[in-house]
Amino acid sequence: MADILDILDIEHPGATEISRDSIIHGDKIKKKYVTAKAVKRPEGMHREVFALLYNDSNKDLPPLLPTDTGKAYKQTKAKLGMRKARKWVWAPFSNPARKDNAVFYHWKRASDETKEYPFAQFNKQVSIPSYTESEYNQYLKSEDWSQAETDHLMDMCQRFDLRFIVIHDRWDRAAFRDRSIEDLKERYYGICASLSKVKTNPWSNTVTTVNGEKRIYHYDAEHERKRKEQLRRLFDRTQEQIDEEQMLLTELKKIEARKRERERKTQDLQKLISRADSGNVPTVNPVPNNTEGTHTPSNATTNIARRHDRKLHKKKLSTQQRPVRTMEAVTVEWSGIKFPEARSTGVWLRSQRMKLPPGVGQRKTKAIEQELRQMNIDIAPTPTEAICKHFNELRSDLALALDLKNALVACEFDLQALRHQYEALNPGKTLTIPASICNATDGETKPMGEIIDVVGSPSALNSTI
Amino acid sequence: MSGPNGMLYGGDEIGALVFDPGHHSLRVGYAQEDTPKADIPAVIGVGPATHIPDAEEKVPDGNVTQSGTKAGNELRHYIDVTELHVARPGMEVQTYMKDGQVDNWDLFEKMLDYCYAKVIRSPSEHHPALFTEAVWTTRPAREKLAELLFEKYQAPAFFLVKNAVLAAFANGKSTALVVDAGASQTSAVPVIDGYALVSAAVRSPVGGDHLAAQAKAMLGSMHIQMLPIYSIQSKEVIRERERARYTLKTLPAGLTHSWQQYMLKRQYEDFCHCVAQVSESAYDERTAASVPGLHYEFPGGYHQDFGPERFKLTECFFEQSLGAPHLVCAAASSCDADARPALWGSVVACGGVANTPGYLDRLTKELASRAPSSHRLKSHAAPSPAERRFAAWIGGSILASIGSFQQMWISSQEYDEGGKGQLERKCP
Ligand SMILES: Nc1ncnc2c1ncn2[C@@H]1O[C@H](COP(=O)(O)OP(=O)(O)OP(=O)(O)O)[C@@H](O)[C@H]1O
Ligand SMILES: [Mg+2]
Repeated sequence: MADILDILDIEHPGATEISRDSIIHGDKIKKKYVTAKAVKRPEGMHREVFALLYNDSNKDLPPLLPTDTGKAYKQTKAKLGMRKARKWVWAPFSNPARKDNAVFYHWKRASDETKEYPFAQFNKQVSIPSYTESEYNQYLKSEDWSQAETDHLMDMCQRFDLRFIVIHDRWDRAAFRDRSIEDLKERYYGICASLSKVKTNPWSNTVTTVNGEKRIYHYDAEHERKRKEQLRRLFDRTQEQIDEEQMLLTELKKIEARKRERERKTQDLQKLISRADSGNVPTVNPVPNNTEGTHTPSNATTNIARRHDRKLHKKKLSTQQRPVRTMEAVTVEWSGIKFPEARSTGVWLRSQRMKLPPGVGQRKTKAIEQELRQMNIDIAPTPTEAICKHFNELRSDLALALDLKNALVACEFDLQALRHQYEALNPGKTLTIPASICNATDGETKPMGEIIDVVGSPSALNSTI
Repeated sequence: MSGPNGMLYGGDEIGALVFDPGHHSLRVGYAQEDTPKADIPAVIGVGPATHIPDAEEKVPDGNVTQSGTKAGNELRHYIDVTELHVARPGMEVQTYMKDGQVDNWDLFEKMLDYCYAKVIRSPSEHHPALFTEAVWTTRPAREKLAELLFEKYQAPAFFLVKNAVLAAFANGKSTALVVDAGASQTSAVPVIDGYALVSAAVRSPVGGDHLAAQAKAMLGSMHIQMLPIYSIQSKEVIRERERARYTLKTLPAGLTHSWQQYMLKRQYEDFCHCVAQVSESAYDERTAASVPGLHYEFPGGYHQDFGPERFKLTECFFEQSLGAPHLVCAAASSCDADARPALWGSVVACGGVANTPGYLDRLTKELASRAPSSHRLKSHAAPSPAERRFAAWIGGSILASIGSFQQMWISSQEYDEGGKGQLERKCP
């Protein structure tokens, strides 16, 4: 004991003779030795830090031996209810939910007053419409259903609380013909509807009053039958069918992705074409921000008409479901050259206006120069006003022509690739490419407009397939 | 049942009894308890009363009911293992069950007498009785049972519930597709809102008995002899696969064939319980061989390890057209399409055979490969073997001690007024 106290650095409590008494009254003895001097928190030390340091072992010694000195165990007698045990009796009861007043026995407290059997409140029943024989003959007659069968249905509805699946299962097939669940429901709700027109019965589940106006539940048997049939088909699919469907779905996704890609490309091409179109208009304004304004009225209208036309085309294109695989590899950039606006202030050389803008790449510059040389045009003419203008226009058109040529070559390449693909997949067959789009042989000689038409117009697209 | 603050608890116990007759055993006990008081073999030994008791047999206990009047021609009925498993000359073993329902009513009466006298030990007229029944129980059998309970036993009330429904209740479900793998058969019964769909229920004769027969054939083909345990006087400890050395007891003459067969069947069943296991997927010699074997010692002393045989034995439960997975699919597909998702969502396995190790996993796996992929499949079984085997009884115990059920009983008054014809109406 002393050793432990030493180790734990607990003040030695003097005489430590261990006896039952000293253990039991241990806390009393200790009380004398509890040093009340509280250790002061040093100035500036945070409370939390001090709390970590603070040793409360003097206050709250952990018990070293199991003792029975704690308050809770001191009371030798547990203070359980000193009242007399309440009696239980095996008592008869009758259940108001039963129609026969049968008496059963159960345990209940003798002190509890006899009240209505509490579980009777759970006795809930669906209210089913009823009819008399004359009512049946007047309103409910049906060619398909005899009264006996109808009675049987209503009886079953009552017994199984409108669980039609169970009703169908227990249907008396010996006496009546087999009917589908939809038939049963149709008849039942039909009866409810007819009766609620002539009677004010509270079969709550089919008639609801909304704003004081009666609403009758209408059962749409045809729809239900169709739904069931579809559900059945859905459930009865075999694994192969499911796999196939899965496969088709992924294929569809692929096709749609391709279609989107194609549309994007068509748009790019359209842009190129529209650029070419406006290039055909002789008055291309090098100043981009007032292009619209400077068009002659007739030009403006034709342009609008064209645009409208194209929109239609685009729509047609996007609604086309057939997978058109053309132009897969064609990438068409925005082409033509936009020369910077003439600077308005300061003094400048006119030759500046002929400088190609920095956006035009090295290769294009080289290609344009090559073309110019072939046409025997000086690549750096004297920059008079007129030459400047025409020279710039010429180079812009050249750039566009080059782009279109490239696009054409790419399309051509695709066409041939597809032809080869087709012939590889269908050995023995040859794909005859219609002459209208076949440019491989005489493409060079065709006028530009026709080529553009080939690529852009939907009628041409249709003919490729 | 009702708490201090007007709270209403679910239970109200009225001293009802629950009986769950099966081909293998009859379970009987008080409602609201968690296991039956007794699980009695569903066979009765019928033999002459005049026989000299064996030396070790302490006779005058009351486990024997007597019938017959003429002295010397008296027949005694030996019920429950302590009486039944004693070698008695001339005692024939008979069962009262046939095709999932009670067939021999005289014998069944003896069984009920025994239950009231020895298990319940309380007069039958004090206890409402709830009986379970198979889904396909015929109307005459149901009415006969009601008649017996009301007229002979004077039961104050009576009720019949389909065992599939109760098994679903025992597993905490009111809608379930219950797979009951019992002794005589395996069945799959859809239960919707506490009603069994009778016309969609399917069953096959593959069950525990079939397994025992298979085990017998298998051991026969392996030339392992299953000696009746009661015939062994003593045996020597031998090494594995060594020839058994034992001495036989002198048995009383005139032991009947049926009794010997019954006792042997118990032994084969024991062998199955100890050894049989269901493999994870369809039986494959190589994977089965990779699982460590299980040791079993036969009554004669012969012992050996059983390897792949253990898995091969149980393949019959998952056989193409009679196995449980097929039954489940057949039952589900003959249900209304609207009910199917709920059924696939709670497949409940119960019955003694469902205790075979690996049964539930295999069933789940097989169903997963067969269930339509648009359904979420969930299978379930009680965790403990006793809960699986006694599922129907436990469900009955729960049902009969629910307060709101107490209005459902057919009381003796009702029976007196309406006769047994109302059974179809009141116990759907
Ligand atoms: N732990 C276990 N492992 C394997 N099988 C078992 C186990 N316990 C019991 N069985 C088998 O289960 C069968 C008994 O099951 P159960 O008690 O459900 O049948 P039953 O309800 O009496 O019969 P039935 O449903 O056919 O009328 C027996 O064949 C027995 O061999
Ligand atoms: Mg069973």
